[in-house]
Amino acid sequence: MCVGLAAKVVGLKDGMALVDASGAKREISAELIDDLEPGDYVMVHAGIAIAKIDEEEAV
Amino acid sequence: MEQKVVTLAHGAGGKQTAALIREVFKEHFDNPEFTPDDAAVLNIDGAKIAMSTDGFIVSPFEFNGGNIGKLSICGTVNDLACMGAKPEYMTCAFVIEEGFPLDKLEMIANSMEKTAAEVGVKLVAGDTKVAGKGQVDKVFITTAGIGRLTEGFKTSGAFARPGDQIIVTGDVGRHGCTILLAREDLGIDAEIKSDCAPLWGAVESMIETTRDIHVIRDATRGGVGTVLYEIAAESGVGVRLDASSIPVDPAVQGVCGMLGLDPLYLANEGTMVVIAPKEAAGALLETLKKGKYTKNAAIIGEITEEMTGKVVLTTAIGTQTMLPEPGGELLPRIC
Amino acid sequence: MSTYSIEEAREIIQGYKGPKIRIMEVCGTHTHEIFKHGIRSLLPENIELISGPGCPVCVTQVGFIDEAVMLATDYHVQVCTFGDLIRVPGTEKSLADIRREGADVKMVYSPLDAVALAVQHPEKEVVFLAVGFETTTPVACLAVKHAMAQGVKNFSVLTANKTMPNAYQALKTSADAFLFPGHVNTITGESVCRDLMEKDGVSGVIAGFTAEELLDALATIVVRIQEGKPFFENCYTRVAKPEGNPKAMAVIDEVMEPCDTQWRGLGIIPGSGLKLREKYAAYDARRKFNLPKIEGKPNPACRCGEVLQGKCKPSDCKVFGKGCTPQHPIGACMVSNEGACSAYFQYGRN
Repeated sequence: MCVGLAAKVVGLKDGMALVDASGAKREISAELIDDLEPGDYVMVHAGIAIAKIDEEEAV
Repeated sequence: MEQKVVTLAHGAGGKQTAALIREVFKEHFDNPEFTPDDAAVLNIDGAKIAMSTDGFIVSPFEFNGGNIGKLSICGTVNDLACMGAKPEYMTCAFVIEEGFPLDKLEMIANSMEKTAAEVGVKLVAGDTKVAGKGQVDKVFITTAGIGRLTEGFKTSGAFARPGDQIIVTGDVGRHGCTILLAREDLGIDAEIKSDCAPLWGAVESMIETTRDIHVIRDATRGGVGTVLYEIAAESGVGVRLDASSIPVDPAVQGVCGMLGLDPLYLANEGTMVVIAPKEAAGALLETLKKGKYTKNAAIIGEITEEMTGKVVLTTAIGTQTMLPEPGGELLPRIC
Repeated sequence: MSTYSIEEAREIIQGYKGPKIRIMEVCGTHTHEIFKHGIRSLLPENIELISGPGCPVCVTQVGFIDEAVMLATDYHVQVCTFGDLIRVPGTEKSLADIRREGADVKMVYSPLDAVALAVQHPEKEVVFLAVGFETTTPVACLAVKHAMAQGVKNFSVLTANKTMPNAYQALKTSADAFLFPGHVNTITGESVCRDLMEKDGVSGVIAGFTAEELLDALATIVVRIQEGKPFFENCYTRVAKPEGNPKAMAVIDEVMEPCDTQWRGLGIIPGSGLKLREKYAAYDARRKFNLPKIEGKPNPACRCGEVLQGKCKPSDCKVFGKGCTPQHPIGACMVSNEGACSAYFQYGRN
């Protein structure tokens, strides 16, 4: 029901995160995830991060 | 429900495009020279030439890696090249929207000049029409070209034989991805450059390497997946692809991941599918890897006797699955 | 982390000799990935995979499309939608049909983009078609919250959001074990599925989406089912945490409240839908435009309903592959790439 894509957070600003999935970048909402930092990996769905993923398991 | 109007799917290069050509155009135009290949082979008083035409309506007309002018030369050059024909002369017809900036038109003409010069093809006639505001989207170009056929060399979508190897001349889906990102407000940013390039040089060096080539087909609209389904049908064979050997730019893969699309169905404008016997494929690949526009060439699969008309993928985990048959308009899938 | 490697999982699955196991994948993306990875070709005859009702497009009632069509054609709003819904047939027309006739239908990647469009075009009324389960609903709720916070008056949503817990109740006898939808559990956490095991004796595992994750989940089911008692396991812990995403659950609860809703094929399931709370009524397209009640009429030849309940395979339907193809879909299951019929048609037809 839900296409998800793992992506790396490369920037954060005002509740939004810039994520990078092997070179494809998009700004998404990071409002639903606490304590997000650049370098973290997230699962992205329809323009928001729905979960933080452990880095070594992301790729 | 019977569709009574032309839809975007009729122009997407898949099954419905083929049906439209068959049911409307072939119905009225059919003759012995009418061709499903990229260019027709004609015999005029003993001289054998190839002839092709193509219309270009790309929006936006400028994109990373090219513009509609470069595209309009490459498209026709590559159609001729697919028949092993050296492009000699071309014509172009412009339909320009009232209010279109002159400097942009100049930029378009300039890149047409450069691309034509690179190939050594001459633009010998043209036509200019200006349409009222809103009647066309900025600028449309139609080009036609004739080319000199290579003596004793003939390829066709119907020549693929079981055991043949399938080569793509570059990584797949870059042009379609570039345009998708430029056109839809998807908010996705990626360093992806259209593969738009004239490929006569690549074809010429392939022919110099070996004449043992069965099919050369430009994987434009509809992408490599659509072309392989066409070849499977025309040759009455099956296609088996090895999923992990298909070259895809990582950024293209990333965009496709976000949007639920398959790069095999995204358009290319400088990538061909080449099918040749096993003995010839290795040498062809080596030649291509040395070429200016074909460094990422790869052997991606083979032609099979079984599964006629189908394209089967061997997945990364060694299972078999069917490549979905080409459908209509590409719709990003999110949920 | 996965319990079994690809090789181990294959051995377990292919070596299974027990009585027949019926496994239902309720998530459409699972259906799609299972075909894409060729996983069905690995299964022995005594393991059957059934595609359940987990594609939001497939379970959306025909009347919802009719409402969207009416908004675009009679009320002249800009309808923003995920690409998935564009070709779904309504009673008479799809969104693709009316777009062709000039209606303003726009494809978006995110509901937040629809709010941005409303801001850019104050002269337009923008309506977002909110479909989806727990995974997709939070972002639609955020869109409504943002619109209210920014004082955007020309944005509203047409809701058809659904939740899984009560649907599981309707489906619990359809299979011996479930592949639970990993991204729904990413939001809801494990408790829903644990409860199903403890209170209803329903077995299942939370599954991820890669070939490795899917095989691991299937192998886990095969091993656990032979223990002979109800089980639950989370095979997607790298993303779906036991507690889920409490902030996402909170935003759903803040903006929406449960309602009864109709599922294509399953009928009305009490409390399985979501609608906007009174506080956000101004963003509810049905109320804003005072839409009349519409009863859509699905094509009677179509057996999508039974397909969604796992009662028949797509290929058992009389119109499958004949009148109904991805190019000319009759039922929603053939439209969506995630739909069981579309996946069956595109990847092999049996």
